[in-house]
Amino acid sequence: MPRDTGVLVLGGGSTGCGIARDLAMRGLEVTLVERGNLTDGTTGRMHGLLHSGGRYAVSDQASATECIEENEILREIAGHCVEETGGLFVQRPEDSDEYFQEKLEGCRECGIPARVLSGTEAREVEPYLAEDVARAIEVPDGAVDPFRLCVANAIDAENHGARVETHAEVVDLLRDGDDIYGVEVRHESGPGKRTHAAPGTTEEITADYVVNATGAWAGQIGAMADLEIEVRPSKGVMTIMNVRQVDTVINRCRPKGDADIIVPHETTAILGTTDEEVPDPDDYPEEQWEVDQMIDTLSELVPILEEARTIRSFWGVRPLYEPPGTGTQDPTDITRDFFLLDHADRDGVAGMSSIVGGKFTTYRAMAEEIADHVCDKLGVTASCSTADEPLPGSENIETLEAGMDDFGLRSPVARRSMQRLGSRASEVLETDEPNPVICQCEGVTRAEIRDAISQSGSDLNAVRIRTRASMGNCQGGFCCQNMANELHPTYDEETVREALDELFQERWKGERHALWGEQLSQAMLNYALHATTMNRDRDPASATGDVDFAAFDGGRAASDRVDGTRGAD
Amino acid sequence: MSDAEQPTDDGVPGDDEFEPIQVFPEAEEMDLRPGADNCYKCSTCDTNCPVAEVDDEFPGPKFQGPEQWRLKRQDDQDIDDSVMKCSNCMRCDSACPSDVPLSQMHNTARGEYVEEQMNTFSREYVRNRILANYRRLAPLGSMFPRTTNFVMGLSATQWLGEKLLGITGEREFPEFATETFREWWTKRGGAKVDNPDKRIAYFHGCYSNYNTPEVAKALVRVYEHFGYEIMVPDQHCSGTPMFANGMLEDARRSAETNVRELAAALEDGADIVASCSSCSMSLRQEYPELFDFEGTEAVAENTWDAVEYLRVHEDLEGELEGTSVDEFDDFAYHAPCHARNQGLDGQTTEVLAPIDGVAAHDVGDSCSGISGTYGWKAENYETSMKIGEEMFDHMEESEANTGLTECPTCSMQMEHGTGYEISHTLEVLEAALVGDRTEAAAQ
Repeated sequence: MPRDTGVLVLGGGSTGCGIARDLAMRGLEVTLVERGNLTDGTTGRMHGLLHSGGRYAVSDQASATECIEENEILREIAGHCVEETGGLFVQRPEDSDEYFQEKLEGCRECGIPARVLSGTEAREVEPYLAEDVARAIEVPDGAVDPFRLCVANAIDAENHGARVETHAEVVDLLRDGDDIYGVEVRHESGPGKRTHAAPGTTEEITADYVVNATGAWAGQIGAMADLEIEVRPSKGVMTIMNVRQVDTVINRCRPKGDADIIVPHETTAILGTTDEEVPDPDDYPEEQWEVDQMIDTLSELVPILEEARTIRSFWGVRPLYEPPGTGTQDPTDITRDFFLLDHADRDGVAGMSSIVGGKFTTYRAMAEEIADHVCDKLGVTASCSTADEPLPGSENIETLEAGMDDFGLRSPVARRSMQRLGSRASEVLETDEPNPVICQCEGVTRAEIRDAISQSGSDLNAVRIRTRASMGNCQGGFCCQNMANELHPTYDEETVREALDELFQERWKGERHALWGEQLSQAMLNYALHATTMNRDRDPASATGDVDFAAFDGGRAASDRVDGTRGAD
Repeated sequence: MSDAEQPTDDGVPGDDEFEPIQVFPEAEEMDLRPGADNCYKCSTCDTNCPVAEVDDEFPGPKFQGPEQWRLKRQDDQDIDDSVMKCSNCMRCDSACPSDVPLSQMHNTARGEYVEEQMNTFSREYVRNRILANYRRLAPLGSMFPRTTNFVMGLSATQWLGEKLLGITGEREFPEFATETFREWWTKRGGAKVDNPDKRIAYFHGCYSNYNTPEVAKALVRVYEHFGYEIMVPDQHCSGTPMFANGMLEDARRSAETNVRELAAALEDGADIVASCSSCSMSLRQEYPELFDFEGTEAVAENTWDAVEYLRVHEDLEGELEGTSVDEFDDFAYHAPCHARNQGLDGQTTEVLAPIDGVAAHDVGDSCSGISGTYGWKAENYETSMKIGEEMFDHMEESEANTGLTECPTCSMQMEHGTGYEISHTLEVLEAALVGDRTEAAAQ
């Protein structure tokens, strides 16, 4: 029976997009479906750390070695998504000397460049470190933008012929006896780029092979074909600070624990994290005390955090997995390694493998291994080239930086835009039209917004993850409507309004956990602005049905005024 | 890849050759990014910026300050060149409802821009250095004041200034006095009053020393009238023109001298007073924001505007009650931005109210537009005059034909825009309390 596609990848996170790119580059026909936006699941909810491997250098040396190898590859192939910040494992006076030594030796055993800094030297690197920090180990940790990286993988997959469908939720696995041959998806607004307010459709997509790369949701997908996949989703909270208090990744040098890392991320710093098992990856409590506790603990390393402004907090769910029967109690003890579950071997059901566990830094290596497996299953001989071929945006990064053009933009705006766009900068920013800054917090111009819209339809959250627009300190209060404005006239008013509401709602979701101090003032100002200038607190135009204009009277007669004065008639 | 390939050390064989290099800036270079936490983007600063009002190309204080700082990363050297269009009037500081350290951000960014990005052989740099360091050139000018005034007044000199240095030829250079204040002070034999209980250290600044010693003399006579012992410590430029031109190293050298000398005066029981509103602003606000010499905070906390000090420590208005002045008429009074930022904008009209024969008509809250050296630059001249337009109009509308202000460069602008003669508030107080100048001079 002819199938719609060669390989069908479920899940548009880093793993799924990485697999899609890998297979497409090997010449396979690939389709990827994702329930929401790209990165909507765990990928978009991580702290942005590009591991050097130092974190696992004591507990899990195999992972550590893999991390440093992939770290070096990503610096090469994804230069425009990576910031080479360096990282420190910081020891406080109460932290164990023995563990510090183990960490240092572990790094060396795994080939991770590591160097010891005195407390004073560490504070020279990061002036806001606590006065009593004893020592630090310097490692090549980095910061990575998971959104940009994931989108670049998807774009490259498309460039190699893949079909990528976002907002296409898998509602059923198609199983014929012991053979899985495809899925049924529900397109939120029909296939292709998303258009708000367009009616939904369903589609059956058949494939020679299905890869379930849905991470924490893998169990739910498996259940559709009566397969049991024991994912143990574990939630972690992350808090975004308004500015970068540090320019280096700061790790606490102690065995394990919550709240032990600060990652500089673009204009912000992200505090992380906690580790607590939850039954359902879509429904778990998000509690304020988790945020408070994390800020308190990390203030021991960087005291200025105590008083600093946070702009939002978010929770992510790790797709932890362990083979049946392992029985680990504490989720922090569950391995971060990944598992490829071939359901033919495991359950006697052919046509699908699931991929669970793993971590962002090694997404490419995971994808390579799975692609090898798929090729093997399909009898295709083709080798992997993802470690050598730069992602779109990262070609010739060095020459790009040498020939800095400002595209008529102010220096910091030009610099940030070019860092985001990489080698696509001139293609996007060179324009004869006026190119005003739309998002002032992050320095995002109209040209960049329009470029993102051309990739993702009316979905402003997809524009956001591509550009960072609305991710700064006003959390969209000053720019959401201007972003939405760029959808017009391609999209009609109803679509634009829905897209705006959705983006603003998403921004509010994370802000709810930062409502004190300056961010509370910001939220109040945002509210006042939107309510008073756009009527967005109770806009009759967004109500269903027509506005009954006849119901409005002509206003009070001048003679009825409270102050008794009469206007000129 | 530099990070990943750095040699390791800590007793590993072969790393003897490791040499620490200074990768990050000196600790004294300030990271003002946390200051952006206070900004919620309301844009009140932008609507209060006099430069943004008349120059559409200027992005305004919100961009210059919190936005630009927030977009910065530690290894970035880029400061947008528009920071040189900021006139350093510091109005954004008082406009901000949320205590964003705007002028500190601007001063620091401007310092970094000049240090890292400006070509030190460029005409602009040389010109700015000259303007910022007026204090170093003034002694030469005042050595032969008449010759200097003659030469500086020649149209050929002005033409050359514009062509060679980009100093506008539209303005006339201020004249040097034939005798500086310090020369007069020495000749006079210093203080006429000894009083260990009431002492002030006078920070006269450059302009009242070299150009308008009558203002400094007025201060001396008014303070001696109230029984103060006056000390005149050694001093340098307050730093205001240097901040405005991003010459932070020059400013640091001057500030170091000033803080040392003024802190010593504090030890002797004096408080510090200044007659120039930009000088007092600098000592009070910019020093503690930008420097941390020993005594900086103490100097800042004990510095006063000269009239403000008398209002707080003496019954100045009571003393002025019933006095009269003949030699001055009504004034069109302009409150300088730097006085406004110190909360002193209503002061002069109130102080002059009890004096018979004069009244100060406030010409409103606009900026004069010159902002120190800003309006002297050829490229800023038109902007400067556009900003000043409102003040000129109001001066001409008011029932007065002379002007009054406490800032030397505001007075230049007022004179330039209206042709009025401009006085300093202390001169009026002197006339009311001590008598006219000839009488006073006889004392």
